[in-house]
Amino acid sequence: MKIKLKFLTLTFISLFFSKLVFAETAPGFNSWDDVVKAADGGQVNVYMWGGSDAINGFVDDFYGVPLKEKYNITLNRVPLKGTVDAVNQVLSEKEAGVTGDNGNIDLIWINGENFWTLKQANLLYGPFAAGLPNSEFVAWDNPAVNLDFGRPVEGMESPWSSAQFHFMYDSARNNYDDMPRSYAELSNWIAENPGRFTYIRPGKGGFVGTRFVKQIFFELSGGHAQWVGPFNQELYDKWAPEVWKLLNSWEKDLWRGGETYPKDNAEMHSLFANGEVDLDFTQSPRGAGPTNTAGTTPPTSRAFAFYENMIGDFNYWAIPYNAPNKAAALVYANLVLEPELQAAQVQPANGFCCGWGISTAKVTDAAGKAAIAEAQNNLGDAAEDQDILAKALVSDIAAEYQDLIEADWEANVLLK
Amino acid sequence: MGGERLKIILSLTPPLLIIFTLFFGGIFYGFLQSLGYQPAIGKYEINFSAYYNVMFSERYAKLFWTGLGLNLWVSFASTFLAAVFALFGALAIRKTFFAKTICNFIYSLNLPMPHLVVAVGIIFVFSQSGLLARFASQIGLIGSPGDFPVLVKDKYGLGIILAYIWKEAAFFFIILMSVLQSLGENFEELAQSLGANRWQRFRYVILPLVMPNLFSASIIVFAFSFGAYEVPALLGVIYPQMLPVMAFEFFLNPDLNARSEGMALSIIIAIIVMILVVFYFWLTQAKIRKD
Amino acid sequence: MNNNLKKINIYAIYLGAIILILPLIAFFINAFSFRWFYPQVIPKELSLQAWVRLKLIPKPGQRTFEGFIELWASNPAVIKALLNSLSIGFLVTIVSIIIALPAARVLGLLNFRFKKLIIFIMVSPTILPPIAFVLGLNINFISWGFSGNYFGVCLVHLVPIMPYVVLTMTGIFANYNPDFEHQARTLGANKTRTFLLITLPAIAPGMVVAALFAFLVSWSQYLLTFLIGAGKVMTLPLLVFSTASSGNPALTAAISIIFIFPAILILFFTSKFVSGESGATSGFGKI
Repeated sequence: MKIKLKFLTLTFISLFFSKLVFAETAPGFNSWDDVVKAADGGQVNVYMWGGSDAINGFVDDFYGVPLKEKYNITLNRVPLKGTVDAVNQVLSEKEAGVTGDNGNIDLIWINGENFWTLKQANLLYGPFAAGLPNSEFVAWDNPAVNLDFGRPVEGMESPWSSAQFHFMYDSARNNYDDMPRSYAELSNWIAENPGRFTYIRPGKGGFVGTRFVKQIFFELSGGHAQWVGPFNQELYDKWAPEVWKLLNSWEKDLWRGGETYPKDNAEMHSLFANGEVDLDFTQSPRGAGPTNTAGTTPPTSRAFAFYENMIGDFNYWAIPYNAPNKAAALVYANLVLEPELQAAQVQPANGFCCGWGISTAKVTDAAGKAAIAEAQNNLGDAAEDQDILAKALVSDIAAEYQDLIEADWEANVLLK
Repeated sequence: MGGERLKIILSLTPPLLIIFTLFFGGIFYGFLQSLGYQPAIGKYEINFSAYYNVMFSERYAKLFWTGLGLNLWVSFASTFLAAVFALFGALAIRKTFFAKTICNFIYSLNLPMPHLVVAVGIIFVFSQSGLLARFASQIGLIGSPGDFPVLVKDKYGLGIILAYIWKEAAFFFIILMSVLQSLGENFEELAQSLGANRWQRFRYVILPLVMPNLFSASIIVFAFSFGAYEVPALLGVIYPQMLPVMAFEFFLNPDLNARSEGMALSIIIAIIVMILVVFYFWLTQAKIRKD
Repeated sequence: MNNNLKKINIYAIYLGAIILILPLIAFFINAFSFRWFYPQVIPKELSLQAWVRLKLIPKPGQRTFEGFIELWASNPAVIKALLNSLSIGFLVTIVSIIIALPAARVLGLLNFRFKKLIIFIMVSPTILPPIAFVLGLNINFISWGFSGNYFGVCLVHLVPIMPYVVLTMTGIFANYNPDFEHQARTLGANKTRTFLLITLPAIAPGMVVAALFAFLVSWSQYLLTFLIGAGKVMTLPLLVFSTASSGNPALTAAISIIFIFPAILILFFTSKFVSGESGATSGFGKI
């Protein structure tokens, strides 16, 4: 009995101390209760790429309502043409000396280069990700999660969802079996179907197009493995000319003879839906599901993937150093990791296009498990075989490649 | 007299304050930044390298000069064509005919329409899968969207020109209608009784009368179309790109050095507009005096 | 002289009118259809889904009076943007007229040195592109704390509006006879009464035109609001632009219809003012 009491006391003391030592849930907040209290009655300014009205609608419906009802927080979603606009805004505020809680942005939907720009310049608030209660569902030990384009996350951003590049076709126009399964096959397909293919211009707002070009590097160079790790200029210089050669060889058979390219995925969807081109890109593990639901692609649209080199990644929420409502931002970043909401985001009927941000195996409560199981059964027939996707999955590569590819593509393909 | 002077100064100060602090202040600060003067990131030296980069560096020269060409072409073409269409519309519509009031209203309809909406409307109607292409396919003129001519998001800026014609023709139309209405028919009747034919009446009677208004309206249209962002951003292609779009993209670049280039480009645009407007003004004044 | 047109010319006018109105037709079809793809001319699926997505019409089954009230009270983004656009427009219109009134009176009635130069300075924002000043102004506004708030957006809207209001009202005062004021004053009316009874009725029609221009210029402002508002002040043009690039034509069309409705309304009620005063109409060139 005595021992037990002593043990209890010790536990309490150590708990007490641990609370003192590791006191902060996130910088400025001692406990999650503090966070929720501070956030009550406020607003949260969420800056996110607004190019998909399906995602916009999902955020408004699935996050706006519980934020208001459970936490009394008003969601102010600010649609951006590119995430870089928000990065730029934070940089401008830094330049103008706006500090403390006086900025404009509370949260940015972010990953890759934009994250790295802000993290490197010390313009982010944190580390906060591990302090979120729902952080327990995140697979922090997985390098795909704790590295973002090869760069350490270190708690400065918290995951939301995942995505993987692959393609869409219209089953009313083409057969699944006739679809190309590699860039080599795609080259033939383009030659046989002149004018029926284009790709998104690599550049601002067109990261999907950059991804499409990155994957060519992987295939031509014989595999993705050598591209993992820090940026390698020599490797890039060795393969870049080959890639530009291939892309230029397609040009005459592309949509409009390669005179121009769609700027973003929205433009590409519209070309595809109106029958101007036959293939489309998707980032959603649910394939054509989200756009079919939104009515921006024909209901007969389906998905297919190459057998190799399909880039997948996680995307995150980050909080700028001068966010005006940091507590509300933390509540939001935590809310999006709720297993039920995660289960909602993967279902095509709800319109959001991306995949899980949490590791479903870590969810133990009954309600969460049921929601996850139901979501898994609701994939829909517009999705590609999940095994093919999983086998083709490769991680994205160092952020430097992105800028380089975009600038060089412009010089060597567009302006050539 | 001193009281009046004070009154003049006091009355003019508020609007001038706004123009000077916000407008010229903004231009001045933009100019400083274009010279690389950015105290916030510890850059105090002044140089013209941003201007050099935009106009002559290997990376941007081609974009800049093609963009400038496109800018000149789009602004001249849309100003000229909008004025011509409006002139013929106004000349025809001032006569009486069935449903004249409705037509008059429709011809003025685009006047209060925001440019942004006109641009969206042009996409809906003229794109390769737009309303006209669908009509064409329905009557068997074209098979697939690719058969329809490229009128929107094309490298010659046709879509941009169309949008400006749509919008500015209404502007010219209203101005012309009010001039023509105030003139009445007397001049023409006089000319006709003196034996002038249709063309002569147009060339020597109507045209000189409407010219001053047409000229001043076209300065506004030209300057606007040269520096506007929304329409080319929605209807343009990625190359060649009109200069305001290019400037704005520079500005949105997270690399702070690109800011200087964005500012430099917007200053260049302003200078070109100013030169062209002064030249145009000089030209038209000389012409009006000659006539 | 024959006042009637030849048949062929009349047909040309009708054709022109139809072509001019095509975009409007496309807006309405798009806004009320679903999956309206090439080559359909008539949509196969009519639908209110765009309006439901915008939260302007409740989901099927909830379309009762209470349903509408509840939905609109939940403050959907479109209504928020609409209210912002309207209130900013009204505010800057009133402020610009108050500021411009004394200046226009002086410019219209008096002659003094540098008058031409001052007029030239006042109209310079109509010639030089907004991008030239707003990029530089942006940083200043951020450091003054005007960025990302309502006040800053109103302030920057004054720049493109000021020239038109000043010019239009200068034109009015140029044709205005101040002797009546003098008479009223000698008859014992005080300053306020003179203004209300003599000055205001005389300049009212022109002021209405100036106010409409001011409102429309503010109403259609994209770039200035985007940069100075830093995304926090959401207005209709911003919403139209971002929706137009998000690839859902039905949504874009629906928002556009809301966006153009007040503009057309204004044209409808003012066509008699507008066609009468050519000097005043120049304001539209910038919208």
